[in-house]
Amino acid sequence: MIRILDIASKDLLQLLRDPKTFMFLLIMPIAFTLLFGFAFGGFSGGASDTRLPVGFLDQDSSRLSKRLRDLFAESDIIRLNVTTRAPADLEELVAEGKLAGAIIVPNGYGRSLLVNKSARLTLIADKGTRATTTVEAEVIAVAGRLDSAVRTATIIEQTIGNRAPFQYALEQSLAAWKNPPIAVTETTSTIVKAEKKSNQSASLAHTSPGMMLQFAIAGLLTAAQIIVAERKSRSLQRLLTTATNRLHILLGHYLAIFTLIFSQFIALVLFGGLILRVDYARAPGAILIVAASAALCIAALGLLIGVLAKTDEQAVTFSLVPMFLLSGLGGAWVPLEVTGETFQTIGHLSPVAWAMDGFKNISIRGLGIESVALPALALLGYAGLFFALASWRFSTNEER
Amino acid sequence: MSANNIAISVTDLHKSFGELKAVQGVSFQVQRGEIFSLLGPNGAGKTTTISILSTLLRPDQGDAQVMGHSIRRDPMQVKSVLGVVPQEIALYEDLTARENLDFWGKMYGLRGAALRQRVQEVLEIIGLADRANGRVGKFSGGMKRRVNIGVALLHKPQVIYMDEPTVGIDPQSRRNILDSVVALKNQGMTVLYTTHYMEEAQELSDHIAIMDRGKLIAGGTNAELVQLVGEQTRIDLTLTVEASRVLPIWRAVEGVAHVSAEDGRVTVLVADSNLVLPRLFESATRLAARITSVDIREPNLEAVFLHLTGRALRD
Ligand SMILES: Nc1ncnc2c1ncn2[C@@H]1O[C@H](COP(=O)(O)OP(=O)(O)OP(=O)(O)O)[C@@H](O)[C@H]1O
Ligand SMILES: [Mg+2]
Repeated sequence: MIRILDIASKDLLQLLRDPKTFMFLLIMPIAFTLLFGFAFGGFSGGASDTRLPVGFLDQDSSRLSKRLRDLFAESDIIRLNVTTRAPADLEELVAEGKLAGAIIVPNGYGRSLLVNKSARLTLIADKGTRATTTVEAEVIAVAGRLDSAVRTATIIEQTIGNRAPFQYALEQSLAAWKNPPIAVTETTSTIVKAEKKSNQSASLAHTSPGMMLQFAIAGLLTAAQIIVAERKSRSLQRLLTTATNRLHILLGHYLAIFTLIFSQFIALVLFGGLILRVDYARAPGAILIVAASAALCIAALGLLIGVLAKTDEQAVTFSLVPMFLLSGLGGAWVPLEVTGETFQTIGHLSPVAWAMDGFKNISIRGLGIESVALPALALLGYAGLFFALASWRFSTNEER
Repeated sequence: MSANNIAISVTDLHKSFGELKAVQGVSFQVQRGEIFSLLGPNGAGKTTTISILSTLLRPDQGDAQVMGHSIRRDPMQVKSVLGVVPQEIALYEDLTARENLDFWGKMYGLRGAALRQRVQEVLEIIGLADRANGRVGKFSGGMKRRVNIGVALLHKPQVIYMDEPTVGIDPQSRRNILDSVVALKNQGMTVLYTTHYMEEAQELSDHIAIMDRGKLIAGGTNAELVQLVGEQTRIDLTLTVEASRVLPIWRAVEGVAHVSAEDGRVTVLVADSNLVLPRLFESATRLAARITSVDIREPNLEAVFLHLTGRALRD
């Protein structure tokens, strides 16, 4: 058993000796995060608050409606104006253009969410103005996040048994997307004047986990190459002439790759949080869970590639395909949220999509630790699958 | 020979790679504490045999016992008594010599102070104590070879396989390696050695098996093998007198099988040059003739191989 640690520390020693490791695992992702963040306007925009003023009337006063209020409070688009005025007053304010809109949380909203009925918010707004479109989109998005998080949590609670959470969750979230959880009430009024502002940190908040995952997957190559190099130098064959168990050899490499990718995540999360001010610190425990399960998953994939590839060229080819396919499909470059329903479903075949969900549930959607449970489970499922394939392949392979 | 004296017992091994029959029906026995060489040209199947005996490859047919453990049924037991020096250098080039030995020592189950001490000992044995902290990737071929061997010595195995350990290195490293092989034997290790250099097999081995195209074509001690061809030692001499004057006299010398002369040079075929050569000098002196040059050609495994296969050992 202790040989697992011996092999892992040997691998890490080799990796740390290699300047490419740092290049690939730290410098490139940081550079690309900055580049992409910049390209998408992460650093543009002034300091003045150009968010749209929106009234908020909570008739429900439940735990969930308070949660909803907090979510809106963090919005980059809406400046929340919490109020206890009557709905009629709010309508007036909107009509006069003093508010870009008003959200009313009806009594029973929280309960409906919990029992999985469609819970509806009321949005008072001018039909057809640009501000309304913006506010409406944001309200739908935020309410949707809460809705899907609640559903996710409920599902996990219900399926702690042996039912498959993946299928169920998928159907539920698809249903949720078809049925927007708000209803818009029209008013007639003058046009609210508000410039659409470029969203300050949302692009970095997206780019940071995206690049992190993209380059963690790029780390596959480094990891796979250690195993390929070991086979090519015939050290692997020599290892097999010692009384060292095959499974232990595999676990040793797995541990090394995991350690590498996990530390990369930690370094990049710190960079994203401290320098780019992406809100990872809200729930550090949840971020750790996502980072660890994503690292386990990616490391297992690296192991599989290392076991399958016979040459360095093959290792490169085998790594490039998942690198682009999984990152692209999983929304590491372009947020899945902006794509259609079908693409989102397909995208979630990629473990990257689940990791992105996990990170963004915390950093953008402002959800709690329970929101990372499903993404983490999905990632661990993939990790198990990849590791099983790698060890099956490794144990049936004749090394000469 | 009691079974206890047998270190390795190989019975009817077969291994094919697709159509190619790399090993076909190989059987031999290696006694404890001896150096046993598999001598054969490139592609003879030496490495394949070694790989089977170190449990890396599964034989298609046949079995072998290493220190009483079957390679089929007890591979882990076999590995635990073994040290293997692979034909290719199997080291981590980005680690230093000491780091390599340290890692491999752990894989052989050594830890802590015992490991540190043994690594130091092995560094001395392979003559690289002063280069211990140099990266293996920067070493010369000969130095790498020595580290490659050192790794297999770490856990003081009962049996050590060395697959062509002297290929492609300088004469000095080669000497160092050959000497250390003999030293291993003197410490009681059993050595299974493969080579395509007949001089090495001849110098080192207690027993030799000649391998060609997946089969053992002959086996025995060096002397036994040489007798297979029935060839005698050939001595070529030049003299200060007419060759014809010594011919009749030398023909009568005890131990001489045949004498002939050509271009002023006399060729004598004998069974044992050590015995006959003094007698030739003695009789020449009596004739007041001086011998000005002597060239002795011992019969060798090269000749044996040629005799058995019709091909030269080295191509
Ligand atoms: N993994 C393999 N796949 C296919 N053929 C192989 C494989 N390994 C060896 N062979 C073939 O089997 C035959 C025996 O090879 P082997 O390496 O055992 O010879 P060898 O005696 O060790 O030769 P050398 O002196 O070149 O090391 C050769 O023809 C070789 O090409
Ligand atoms: Mg060979």
